Amino acid sequence: MPLSTQSQADDEQYVLVASMDNARNLSNILKAITFKDQAIFSATPNGLKVTVEDSKCLQANAFIQAEIFQEFTIKEDLVGFQVNLTVLLDCLSIFGGSTVPGVSTALRMCYKGYGYPLTLFLEEGGVVTVCKINTQEPEEPIDFEFCSNNVTNKVILLSESLKEAFSELDMTSEVLQITMSPSQPYFRLSTFGNSGNAHYDYPKDSEMMELFKCTKTQTNRYKMSLLKPSTKALALSCKVSVRTDIRGFLSLQYLVRNDDGQICFVEYYCCPDEEVEEE
Amino acid sequence: MNCLLEGNGVKVFGKALHALSRIGDALWLDPTVKGLALRAVNSAHSAYACFLFSPLFFQHYSLGSGSEQGSGSVNCKLLMKSILPLFRCLTSIERNVERCQISVSTPSDRVVVQFFCRHGITKTHNLRFQESEALQAVFASHLCPNVLKAPARLLCDMVMHFPSSQEEITLSVTPLRVSLTNYCEEGKDPMRTMYTEMSLHPDEFDFFQVGVDLDLTFCLKELRGLLSFAESHSLPVSVNFSTAGKPVCFSVEDVVLEASVVLATLMDSESRGPSQPAETLAPVTSRCADAAVLLVGSCEADSGEPRCTPAVMDLVASSQGSPIISPPPLMLPLLQIDEPNGLGELGEACASLTTTPASSTICSLLFNALSSEQDSDGYDSRLPVLACYSDGEESMEEDHTGSPSL
Repeated sequence: MPLSTQSQADDEQYVLVASMDNARNLSNILKAITFKDQAIFSATPNGLKVTVEDSKCLQANAFIQAEIFQEFTIKEDLVGFQVNLTVLLDCLSIFGGSTVPGVSTALRMCYKGYGYPLTLFLEEGGVVTVCKINTQEPEEPIDFEFCSNNVTNKVILLSESLKEAFSELDMTSEVLQITMSPSQPYFRLSTFGNSGNAHYDYPKDSEMMELFKCTKTQTNRYKMSLLKPSTKALALSCKVSVRTDIRGFLSLQYLVRNDDGQICFVEYYCCPDEEVEEE
Repeated sequence: MNCLLEGNGVKVFGKALHALSRIGDALWLDPTVKGLALRAVNSAHSAYACFLFSPLFFQHYSLGSGSEQGSGSVNCKLLMKSILPLFRCLTSIERNVERCQISVSTPSDRVVVQFFCRHGITKTHNLRFQESEALQAVFASHLCPNVLKAPARLLCDMVMHFPSSQEEITLSVTPLRVSLTNYCEEGKDPMRTMYTEMSLHPDEFDFFQVGVDLDLTFCLKELRGLLSFAESHSLPVSVNFSTAGKPVCFSVEDVVLEASVVLATLMDSESRGPSQPAETLAPVTSRCADAAVLLVGSCEADSGEPRCTPAVMDLVASSQGSPIISPPPLMLPLLQIDEPNGLGELGEACASLTTTPASSTICSLLFNALSSEQDSDGYDSRLPVLACYSDGEESMEEDHTGSPSL
């Protein structure tokens, strides 16, 4: 592969070099969080984290561990920059995103450090394209202070059962209400739209419910417009964990298997619209 | 009202809703002792559909709790866009839904549709409804002298040849032949219009009873829903009609359900050949069919274009050979009713309808309790009303509670 024969000397100048034989393993997961143009990239020796935020109320993170990459070299403890995610995705699919088996775009992503553009070397069928995307000073991602100790309710559902519900959600409803309780209705998604309201109930003993740990009855509402983008992550995932903490903050964690069967994670954090403590 | 559908019944119910959604934006849910009737009507009141599910169709069917008065429970009017999305994806319903319960909750003004799905998942939808009088079209299809009956497959194959954008088609019947042709609107350059004609021999029909040569022009779009429903159930479709200008009824039935679509048809211009405008003006009578003639007739005086009926002509393949068709104007004349005279005549004609005996209502589509809508919409000159209807003031026959019977 032409990319891997680049001289060692070139590599010296980069603080981050990440290579993938199939760029789709990166682009697919990034599509799950592309609801805003700007994304914050944070690379550590563990791997790559890409963060997208909306109105200080919603944060989505995609984690691609170092092991997913064929090559992952990082010279600092933390390398961070901000790029236009839409442009990045366009570059990753610059060869047209063909789905012919056996044909894939190889990627080599390189970054020289602060002030330098993000350089992408993309190769398919012997043709190499070089893209340089301008980077910006990374903004500090919001810390939602969501910690496991404060989690009141947690369920893990097989995505298949939620996918249909999410695609059918009444979009005329401004909010999505999530009720989690140790008693009936256990786990309920509700919408309040123009035609009326709808409730989707998942019992704790359903085969779709892999884990059910609810300690307290809680009902929280979240803006539909904020949560709707998470449908993309849901579509890619096989399992999702739904957690709420004592403040009513929501954490959705999606387990995504890529083309090669490797596991990546996407998570969404969302602030409640208003806290409704159930009696 | 409370009913429970199981598995396949949910899918059939959904298909019925899809067919009804082709007709109008609102759904009338009328529970009766005979079963649950789902009805729709289009805004022009020229198409009406009714699906009647007998109590046998349901795993459980009950009308109302003891506290509710009378024979039944509430008649509901729902927006199609509230209920159709619940049944939009029939394949996923087939895969996931085990049972569906539909009930009407009067205290909260809600129709509750509850899906009991695989894996213990329950989906509950509480839909707002408006209380309403039952929607009825009084149309005695069994009194129609002409009847065709064919497998749905045959009719679907026939209409398949017409593009989905084709609004109206003409069904021409003679004792020897049945053909479907597309109806060309006046104003369209005949040289630019593609003309399609399909003919069938009476032998292809399961039942064929035709007395006279007739051309019936009606809206195809509104019929497609029923045809697709009939095809998915392999049910034969009966077509009952009398003459042009009077409604045509397409219906299917099996042990547990009856469905029908009643469509207004275009008033026939005259008996074959170009006519003098004066001849088509009929005296004001109590028959609303004649009122429809009147409607078209008064506009003929304005247009003065040659009029000929599209059917019964042998159309030669080459454009040189085929006659130029200027069929009776459909929409155009109604748009021309601007002069007070036109409205006055119509008003007179329809005013006289309020005293018509029941028998003369055979030719019209009558709707209960739509009077408020009629006042605002009914005689709007923009609406192409093909069949006249009377105001709901006179008491409608109470025994016509079901769908038009076959």
